[in-house]
Amino acid sequence: MKQEARISIALVCIVLGFMVAVQFKTTAANPGDLSTLRVQDLTLQLDKVSKERDALAEEVASMREQLKEGSEDQAAEVLRQQLAKANLLAGLEAVKGPGVVVTLADSAQPLQPGENPNLYLVHDEDLLKVVNELRAAGAEAVCINEQRLVATSEIRCAGTTILVNTTKIAPPFVIKAIGDPAVLESSLHIKGGWLETLEIWGIKSQVQRVETVEVPAYRGSLAFRYAQPVSTKGTAN
Amino acid sequence: MWLLLVVICLALGVYLGLQMPVVLPFIYAKYMSIAILAALDSVFGGLRAYMENVYDNLVFVSGFFVNILLAAGLAYLGDRLSVELYLAAVVAFGVRIFQNLAILRRYLLRKW
Repeated sequence: MKQEARISIALVCIVLGFMVAVQFKTTAANPGDLSTLRVQDLTLQLDKVSKERDALAEEVASMREQLKEGSEDQAAEVLRQQLAKANLLAGLEAVKGPGVVVTLADSAQPLQPGENPNLYLVHDEDLLKVVNELRAAGAEAVCINEQRLVATSEIRCAGTTILVNTTKIAPPFVIKAIGDPAVLESSLHIKGGWLETLEIWGIKSQVQRVETVEVPAYRGSLAFRYAQPVSTKGTAN
Repeated sequence: MWLLLVVICLALGVYLGLQMPVVLPFIYAKYMSIAILAALDSVFGGLRAYMENVYDNLVFVSGFFVNILLAAGLAYLGDRLSVELYLAAVVAFGVRIFQNLAILRRYLLRKW
């Protein structure tokens, strides 16, 4: 009896010690669970990261400037022209011209009980459809809330905000497009078009023809890590 | 002698736990903590029974393991049902641990 008791006490104590040690390690290994962090800490972190992003964006801008200066060489005149053209097409230059300004804002209609509030908000999908319509109507340069849309731009939903060029944008959404103002405007006001559908939910849209609209340059990074040119004749320029 | 055995075995268990490459996912840490609480409760209950001379080996060992599994299992079930059974277990075991400790203290005081 006494012997048995000793064995079971030993066994129990080993198991208890083991559990405590494992728990200790687990707690120590998971200190930074985001959901338990305080709002202030998260705000500070966000602030820091935003500042870093701004600094990096400035660096990109200044480096592009340097690149431009470096390429201002007489011998490279042809190359420079090509570069300018490529920059224009790629959306790396701010451009201006006639076009339209489309404003989309969340619905001001009071929500009826039992109705889905999502129906009354402007979604990434709505912006995509509008931009698609504009491009189909020959828009040459498009930006949403000063975020230039280039070949790699995305428009997607991230929680309660919309990301364009990985930058958060919020309503009201202002889409500027350069192109033939009349064509652009009528493409949006087409019967059964997207703006008409949005109207049902009270989402206010406004399409304004303008003489000159300025579309800013793309400010993000442009680096291809995976895509390689398929050169057919020597090295690609 | 008796206390020495407890200390040595606890140390051995802690050593084993620290040496073994076992780290629980964070979501299961909660159930582990409740299991530890149940284990502590069983140990103090056993000590109290020993003091009262009603110690039964089978009751002690079975109680230890069954309590651990039940506590963790109930906490898990509670989470699935979105009932905070976890809190109920913490309160129940906490109260029992303190009661047992108080009784143990009285026995020890009477002894000396």
